[in-house]
Amino acid sequence: MERSIETIWKEGFLASDALVAPKLNNLYNQKSIHIIDKFKRMFKINLIAIVAFSFAFLIVSFIVGIPITGVIFFVTLSVLVIINKRLLNDLEKIDLGISSYNYLKAFNQWINKQVAINEKISKFLYPIIFISMILGFWFKDAEGIPLGERLVSEVLIGFPDTYLLFGIPLIAIVIALAIISLLVHFGGRIYQWDLNLVYGRVFKKLKELMTDIENLRS
Amino acid sequence: MSSDFYNISILPYAGIIIKLCRAYTNSQLDFEDYYQEVCLQIWRSKDNFKEESQWSTWVYRISLNVCLTLLKKKKNNVQHFVSDSLTAEETEDNYAFSNESLNLLYDAIRKLSEIDRAIITLYLEEKSQKEIAEIIGTNPNNIGVRVQRIKNRLKKILDGKIN
Repeated sequence: MERSIETIWKEGFLASDALVAPKLNNLYNQKSIHIIDKFKRMFKINLIAIVAFSFAFLIVSFIVGIPITGVIFFVTLSVLVIINKRLLNDLEKIDLGISSYNYLKAFNQWINKQVAINEKISKFLYPIIFISMILGFWFKDAEGIPLGERLVSEVLIGFPDTYLLFGIPLIAIVIALAIISLLVHFGGRIYQWDLNLVYGRVFKKLKELMTDIENLRS
Repeated sequence: MSSDFYNISILPYAGIIIKLCRAYTNSQLDFEDYYQEVCLQIWRSKDNFKEESQWSTWVYRISLNVCLTLLKKKKNNVQHFVSDSLTAEETEDNYAFSNESLNLLYDAIRKLSEIDRAIITLYLEEKSQKEIAEIIGTNPNNIGVRVQRIKNRLKKILDGKIN
């Protein structure tokens, strides 16, 4: 007669080797990483890198004569860091001791919130960076006059019929607006693509787990 | 983590932590990683314990939540969600209990979905449907039906392998 799985389980664990707890050592140097720890670590490293980069760029921008770019970069990235630091604080609040459904749900909600906020930010971030570059170089000093004005003068020498709007060639405004529109349109997608590349499998697995528990709840 | 905390608050429940971790790993190295991570997270989260449930239920919840959401660093440094890497073919370092039937049962359990592994392990540990539902966060009425389905599936997998 076949044994039941309950009997196999009970008898199996009667053996002395079956329940030996491993020694706890080297706790902070493990091969496995908890997913929330991983996100926290990634977030902290990213935020520190952004702060360091924006400071360094601010200094460099003054040295190379594009302080407008440096200041806009610094302010924009500072706002980005502050928003994401608040998101990180929310992540710290997720309690591992709640039921699996509530735990996975809380984590999933945090991810969705984080993705939604950063997607919106990306729609503004890339265009602002682009505009700051244009402004920085436009007002960069070129032998006493702004580089932008100097370029326009040179264009007008070569193409005297160029139509100007507020002193800027219309074609340049159209191209700049087209690039800004593309950056607004694809900003969120670029962020989403980048995120899926790193965490796509994790997100998929979390979704599967949630669906399985939700089926069990219904 | 102090040894007092480990000896008093974790060790009495080590049995079921070990059994749960074994259900999500099939090598000694992975198992040790998981066990350590569970202990670490219990210690880190201890201040969040609000005595709304029993300490043991809370420990099982953390153990399960950690097992469900562990990232495992593979040799090539590519990170995978744990259960993606659990097929026996991929693992070189298969752990074996001295009891062959138990090995076959664990192999069968590892073929189940993540949630089903937790349900059957807790069921085999004689946890009530209510406690299993509390740990997973689901409806107790559905646990009985799911356990029956899991048992049937396990019987099918084990059919003819165990006398």
